[in-house]
Amino acid sequence: MPTVVLMDVSLSMTRPVSLEGSEEFQRKNLAVHGLTMLFEHMATNYKLEFTALVAFSSLWELMVPFTRDYNTLQETLNNLEDYDKTCLEAALQGVNNIVQQEWGNTCPCQVVLVTDGALGIGRGSLRHSLATLKQRGEDKKFPLPFPFPSKLYIVCIANADELRATDAMDNLEQLLSLSGGEGQIFTMDGPLCLKSVQAMFGRLIDHAYMPFHATLRCGNLASDVQVFPRPEPVLLDEELDPTPKAVHTELEIMGFIEIGDIASPPVVSRHLVLPIAVNKEADEVGAGAADEMEEELSANQMAGKIPNFCVLLHGSLKVEGMVALVQLGLDWYGMLYSQADSKKKSNLMMSIFEPGSEPLPWLGKISQLGPISDAPENPYGEDDSKSPFPVLPKSKRSYAQNVTVWIKASGLQELNRLRKAALAFGFWDLLKCVAELLERECTLLPDSAHPDAAFQLSHAAQQLKLASSGDSKYAAFDHVITPMLTDFSGGVSGSDRI
Amino acid sequence: MKMFSVSHKTVFVVDHCPYMAESSRQQIECDMLTKSRAQAMIPLSPVSKSLWTCAVECSMEYCRILYDIYPARKLINYIVSDSECHILNTWGEKTQSVQELMSALAAVGPPNPHEDPECCSVLHGLVAAVESLCKITEYQHEARTALVDVAHRVSNRGRIICLTNAKSDTHVRMLEDCVLETIQDQNKLAAGSDRLMPIQQCELVLVHIYPQGDDTLVSDRQKKEMTSVLSSEVHSVRAGRHLASKLNVLVQQHFDLASTTITNIPMKEEQHANTSANYDVELLHHRDAHLEFRNGDSNTGSSSKEGGIRETVTLKWCTPRTNSVELHYCTGAFRISPVDVNSRPSSCLTNFLLNGRSVLLEQPRKAGSKVISHMLSCHGGEIFLHVLNSTRSTLEDPPSISEGCGGRVTDYRITDFGEFMRENRLTTFPHMPVDTAGRAPFERAKSQLERHTRYWPMIISQTTIFNMQAVVPLANLIVKDSLSEDDVLTCQKTVYSLVDMERKNDPLPISTVGSRGKGPKRDEQYRIMWNELETLVKAHVETSERHQQVLDCINACRSKPPEEEERKKRGRKRDDKEDKSEKNGKDSEEKGWNPDTERLKGAIEREKENESESGVIKDSPDSPEPFNKKPRLTLEDLQPLEKSKGPVSLLSLWTSRITQANSRKHPEFAGRLSSINNKAELYQHLKDENGLVTSLPESLLSF
Repeated sequence: MPTVVLMDVSLSMTRPVSLEGSEEFQRKNLAVHGLTMLFEHMATNYKLEFTALVAFSSLWELMVPFTRDYNTLQETLNNLEDYDKTCLEAALQGVNNIVQQEWGNTCPCQVVLVTDGALGIGRGSLRHSLATLKQRGEDKKFPLPFPFPSKLYIVCIANADELRATDAMDNLEQLLSLSGGEGQIFTMDGPLCLKSVQAMFGRLIDHAYMPFHATLRCGNLASDVQVFPRPEPVLLDEELDPTPKAVHTELEIMGFIEIGDIASPPVVSRHLVLPIAVNKEADEVGAGAADEMEEELSANQMAGKIPNFCVLLHGSLKVEGMVALVQLGLDWYGMLYSQADSKKKSNLMMSIFEPGSEPLPWLGKISQLGPISDAPENPYGEDDSKSPFPVLPKSKRSYAQNVTVWIKASGLQELNRLRKAALAFGFWDLLKCVAELLERECTLLPDSAHPDAAFQLSHAAQQLKLASSGDSKYAAFDHVITPMLTDFSGGVSGSDRI
Repeated sequence: MKMFSVSHKTVFVVDHCPYMAESSRQQIECDMLTKSRAQAMIPLSPVSKSLWTCAVECSMEYCRILYDIYPARKLINYIVSDSECHILNTWGEKTQSVQELMSALAAVGPPNPHEDPECCSVLHGLVAAVESLCKITEYQHEARTALVDVAHRVSNRGRIICLTNAKSDTHVRMLEDCVLETIQDQNKLAAGSDRLMPIQQCELVLVHIYPQGDDTLVSDRQKKEMTSVLSSEVHSVRAGRHLASKLNVLVQQHFDLASTTITNIPMKEEQHANTSANYDVELLHHRDAHLEFRNGDSNTGSSSKEGGIRETVTLKWCTPRTNSVELHYCTGAFRISPVDVNSRPSSCLTNFLLNGRSVLLEQPRKAGSKVISHMLSCHGGEIFLHVLNSTRSTLEDPPSISEGCGGRVTDYRITDFGEFMRENRLTTFPHMPVDTAGRAPFERAKSQLERHTRYWPMIISQTTIFNMQAVVPLANLIVKDSLSEDDVLTCQKTVYSLVDMERKNDPLPISTVGSRGKGPKRDEQYRIMWNELETLVKAHVETSERHQQVLDCINACRSKPPEEEERKKRGRKRDDKEDKSEKNGKDSEEKGWNPDTERLKGAIEREKENESESGVIKDSPDSPEPFNKKPRLTLEDLQPLEKSKGPVSLLSLWTSRITQANSRKHPEFAGRLSSINNKAELYQHLKDENGLVTSLPESLLSF
C-alpha cells in the first residue's frame, strides 16, 4: 500500500515552539524529526513500501515521486523550504492526481498529512472548502473521498487542546469522515517537544506500519514469514458482521490445486511471502549439535544456508504449476504460488480471497475440499487426465441452455420450443398465426416433395391450433408435439424401388 | 455490502385482469418468406402481443438476467393477480428458475377478456406481495440461526415490482396506500411470529403499461419516501420494446449492474465460410467490473445510450493465442448475462466461451500501448468477466527468493515435494460433509498433511532413505491413516529388500556434503539409513497397531539390536561433544567423563560380549509374529557360523548342510557373503569406530 507524505510547508509551520531553557525549535523541525523517524522505520522494517513526498502551501509540489529510496526522501525532507499559506484542497487534489497517475484507482494508498493545524484563511482554507462543499459542480468537486481506496492519517504538530481552541479539530474530523473514515487523527500529548513528537509518530508506526509476521505451516513443515504489504482487515457485511476480519498469524496450508483448476481467481489483495530468520531455541529438524553450530555463525550468514520451507514450497509450486490453498482465518482462504517478475526474479506470493465459505464458485465450498486419497478413485485419473474442478453449478445459465428461437417453425423441435414459450407468455395468437403459416406451406408444397411433408405440416398446424384454444390437454405446458406416425417413414426405400 | 438489502427479495405482481388482454398494437410480421418467393400470394395478417404478453415477456427477461448473474441469494416471488392472486413460486431455492416460472405461467394462461372486470384487481396481488415479503427466506433463517444472540441484525427488506395498467394518478395513489396499509398490518402480525419478519424497508416500483398509440393516463414519478418503510416510484411505459428496455434499465439499477460491449468479435459468416465479419455483443454484469473506470479517466470508451440511462463500456476482443494455463492477477470476477441471449453473435460468443476458451479484452485506446484490462472465461458452465490488474504493481522488483532465508541452499527436494503436492491435491466432497470421526473434508486434508510431514527432510543431503528407490513403497504407505494386511506385508518386503541390499553390500546414496574424505564406510552408511528409516516409522507408530508392526519388523531386521545401537549412539554423541569441547576449549558437562582410550576400549569389549548374548536371547523368544521368524533365523544362524571356526565336526557338517538348504529359502547373510575362506570378521565397525568421529558427515548430526 503506497504512502504519500503530504507535508505542510506554510509559514505557520515555522512558528517556534516555546521550550524552557533548551534550544529553540520550529514546528517544522519537529515534523521533520517525526518523519525522519518514520522513514528510518520504513527503511529497516518496511522497505518494500513505495513512498512519495509532496510539499504544499498555497501550491503543491511533488518533491519525491514514489520510491523505495529512503535516503532521497530523507535528504529532500531535510532541505524543504518555507512558503506561504496553507491550502489543503489543492494539495489533496494534487495527491489524487499523483496516485491515480501512478497506481490507477484500484490500488489502496495511505496518505500521511503532516500539518500544524493552522488550516489557512479565506479562500482556499479548509474551512472555506468545507463550507462550500455542496455548492460545487461536477468539475470542481472536493477531492475527498479519493476514487482509490485510501486511509488518511492526519498527523498534527499541535496538541489536541490547541486544535480544539479553534475549529481546526472539527474541520480535520470532517475531513477524515469525508475521506471515508478509514484513518485517524494523531495529536501530540503534552508540551510540543522532540519526545512528544516521537511518541506521536511511534503511534502512527504502530498503527499503520508494523510489519505483519506470521508462521506458514504445511503440516509439520513450517517457516516464519513476513507478509508484505500487511494484509488489512476486511469488513464483510456492516450489518451482519460489523467487526472487520483480520488475517491470522498462523497461515495453514490445506492442500494443493493445479493452476488451471484455480483459474485466475478474483482476489482481494496480493502479498509477498518473505521467509524471515527468527531466533528459536530449537530447529525442527536439526536439534542438538546443529544448534551449537548456529551460535558460532552470525544469524545473517546462516539464514541463507539453513533450509527454509518457503524456498522448497516455492520451488515445487513453480515446477509443478500448482498453488497451495491456505487458510487465513475462520472461513477465510487464500492461495500461495510462485510469481516471476519481468526480470525473471521469482517469489512466493499469497493472494487473499474474499472472506467466506465459498469464495470461488468453481471450487465449491472450501470446507468440502478434502484429500484425494479419501475419494473412491483418484478424481484426477491415473494419468492426470481428469480434474474434479470446476464444480458444476446446480442450474444452467440462460446462455448455456437451448435458447428459444422465436418465429421460426423449421421443425417440430423448434415447434415445441415455440409452443412452450408462447403458452408461457400467453401469446396464443402467435400459435394461431404459425398454424396458418404451416397450413399455407402445405398448399404450396412442390410436387417433388415427400408425401409425408404435407401430412406432418398439417398435423403440426392442427396441434398448434389446439394449443392456442387453451384446451387443457393440448395447452399443457409440458405436452410435446410428436411427429405423426405415417406409413411413409418406413416406406421411403420402398418408393425408391418402384 | 449488505446481505439482506432491498434486492434480497423481489416480488413481481403482474396484472391479469381482462384489460391486460388488450393488444399492445406493436405488430409482428410473421410472414417473412413472402418477399423472397416468386409466387404472389395473400400475406398473412401480422399478429401483435397483448399487454399481458408484453408484461410477462419483459418480467421473464428481468428474471433471466437476475438468475444468470445471481444464481443464489437474490430471490424472486412471482404473483399474478385477477379475481384472486396466483402465487407462482416460493422463496425456496427449488422454485427459483425461469423454467419454473414459465411452466407456472403457462398454467395461468392469458387473461380472459370476458371475465367480470369488477371482481378483478391488481390489489389482490399487492396484498399477497406484502405478505410474501414478510415470509422468511432460507437465507434469513440460516443467518438468524447462526446469529442467535444478535438475530436482530438480520433485516427484512424487499422490493415489489407491479406491472399493471392503471386508470389514473389517483388510481396509482390508491395502490400505494393499499401497500402501505398492508405493510402496517402485516408488520404487526409478523412481530409475533417465528416464520415471519416485519418489513423494515420496501421499495414499490409501479410500472404502468399502455398500448402504443394511446396517450398515457398516468404520469411518471421519481422515487419518493412515503414513510420510513415504504418508498414508491411510478414508470409510465408504452408496451412492446419500450417496456423491455425499461425493465432492462430497472434490473441494472436494482442489482448494481453495468454493461460491457465486446467489440470486434470475428465471426464466420454462414454463407461465406471463408470470410469473417466483426460483431458486437453486449453483456451485463455487476458494476464493480468497471471499478477502474469510475472517476478520472474519460478515455474508456464509455458511451451512453437512450438518454444517459444506459451506459456501456466498450472493450475490444483479443483473439486468444494458445490455451496456455496462466495465473492472472485478477481483482474481481463477475457473472455475466448477454443482453440479447438469442442473437447469433451473442450465442456464438457464449458457445465459444462455454467450450473452455478464455478471451482477453483490451481497452480501446487511440494511442499508446495496449492495455488488457478484462478477461472472459467460463468455469463450470458459467461465464465470468474477470477484471485484470492493468496498473503498475506495488510489488514490483521484490528481492528474489534466492536472496532470502534458505535461498542459498541448492539441494532442496523440489521433485519430491512436487510429488508430495500431487498426493495432497484436493477434491470436492459435497455429499460427504463429515467422516465417521466428525471431521469435515478440509480438516481431513490438514490432518493428512500433518501425517505426511511428520518426517520430511527438506534437502537431499539431509536424507538417505528418500533418495533410495527401494524405500519408496514403505515411505508411501507408512504415512497412511490406516494400513491393510497387504500394506504391512509390502512394508516388510521393503525392509527385507534393504536387508538384502545390506547383505550384498550395495552402496547407499549417502550425501558426502560436509564430510571429509570419502564419507562414512559402507556399514556406517547402513547404520545411518536404518536409523533414518526408524525415525520415519517411529513418527507413525502411534497411528495403529499395524504401523507398530512395521517398526517391529525394522527393529528385528536391522543389522544391530536397537538397544546396543542406542548405547553406541550415546557413546558417539559423547565423542562428538568431546571433540567439540576440545576445539572450543569450553567446559561441558561430559568433561568429567574422561575419554580414556583404554577405558573406552574396555567398554566396547564389554558391549561386544553383551551383544551376542542379550541380543539373541531378547529377540528370539519374544517375537510371536510370524514375520519375525526370518530375522530370528538370521541371528540364530550367526552363532553356528561363529562357532564353526574350529575343525570340522559332525555338528558343523550337519549345520552347513541345513544352512545350505535354508539359504535357498532366504537371502544370503551379509557376513557369509563378505567372508574370506568362509571366515567372516565380525564387528568390523568397532575397528572403524575411532576413525569415525572425524569423518562423520554433517548431515548425521541432525539425527
